[in-house]
Amino acid sequence: MDPPIINEASFSAANPSSYSLAEIWPFPINGELSRGGGGLGLRMCNFGAFAEANSTRDVSVDESTVTEQSAGGRKLRDANSEEDESSKLVSTSSAKDLKNSNGKRMKMSGSRDENGGSKSEVEANSGPENKPAEQSTKPSEPPKQDYIHVRTRRGQATDSHSLAERARREKISERMKVLQDLVPGCNKVIGKALVLDEIINYIQSLQHQVEFLSMKLEAVNSRMNSPIEGFPSKDLGAATFDSTGMLFGSQATREYMQGSQPEWLHMQVGSSFDRET
Amino acid sequence: MTPQPSLMKPNSIKTRFAYGFLRALNSLNKNKTSSPSSPKVIFRRCRMIKLAADASMASAVGSRRAWSRAVLCKIRCQRALAMRGRIRSGGFTRRSGAGKGFGVGRTDGLRKLVPGGGAMDLCSLLDETAHYIKCLTTQVQVMRNIVDICST
Repeated sequence: MDPPIINEASFSAANPSSYSLAEIWPFPINGELSRGGGGLGLRMCNFGAFAEANSTRDVSVDESTVTEQSAGGRKLRDANSEEDESSKLVSTSSAKDLKNSNGKRMKMSGSRDENGGSKSEVEANSGPENKPAEQSTKPSEPPKQDYIHVRTRRGQATDSHSLAERARREKISERMKVLQDLVPGCNKVIGKALVLDEIINYIQSLQHQVEFLSMKLEAVNSRMNSPIEGFPSKDLGAATFDSTGMLFGSQATREYMQGSQPEWLHMQVGSSFDRET
Repeated sequence: MTPQPSLMKPNSIKTRFAYGFLRALNSLNKNKTSSPSSPKVIFRRCRMIKLAADASMASAVGSRRAWSRAVLCKIRCQRALAMRGRIRSGGFTRRSGAGKGFGVGRTDGLRKLVPGGGAMDLCSLLDETAHYIKCLTTQVQVMRNIVDICST
């Protein structure tokens, strides 16, 4: 599959300039070219309908160079005008091959067969030197059975590993977006590393807050002996929800925590000393 | 201080955490000795309260999430360790799956912070991190409210 890939890349990248490219190239490459074009037709047909127009255009460029070489003194404009017919021709030839190899694509390329049927003299021009190469290369290619329709931009890889990797990256960036929405003040930060730093800081601050609050709870519990048993737990549960209006931003809580923890520790130590003396 | 039923969602994680945590605090208070406490005892009680908060948070979330499973497992292991004095090694950790473009040190830091994060790939690690952050904010809110109510 190597030569078709190279051909596909070069032709899809430099579509208009491929005429001059074909003129520069010596003749023996021509067979290689047409072979690549045939393989390309098969490959791109597998990708589905959206890629079809692209593939036929590439192949037509390919094919027109062939006719030009065989006719010798033809003008470039002629090749240009013949582009459509020759494209149909190539699609018909590839359609025949496809019928041979796997009958799945028959319906798609059958309509093209009817279109290209009238242009028989073009077929006679360039058919004979084109087809044997294709026939020889087709059986070597494994028929692709399972395929998915993928919409890619130019130059993006389409093999399964890259697709899986792309899907994974999209998933990760989606999660990162969710996390950015979750962590306050994280929307302005640019760059994944900094966002991750921010997230780590936020989690650490939250864990420290839990620690600090447990210390505070301990202090409250020890100060008034078992205050919670006085309440039925349902009321307390409701009460905790009543006062959920006191929501806080993380910045405030961070400052609060950093500011008040040493004082509180001081107080705690002092009170314990008081108790001991 | 009448309960407002409109504000209470009986099955939310917040409600379940509040109930579980208050129950744990009650049982801690019952076990409390009224002897004058040294700083070491105070520190130990702080740790007990924090453990209770973590445990009730994790059990409120349930076993759907990987981080709550990890917290519950860790607490169980610690209890068993405290009872038997036996040391068990933790779960396996995964080092290879750091994503490209992310600093390896940063994802490692995240793995250390999120419980059970050592064995996750990056996608699920970020997912669990999001849920963990939500639960931590809930925990902080509820604990703060309990402190406010008890101290006034």
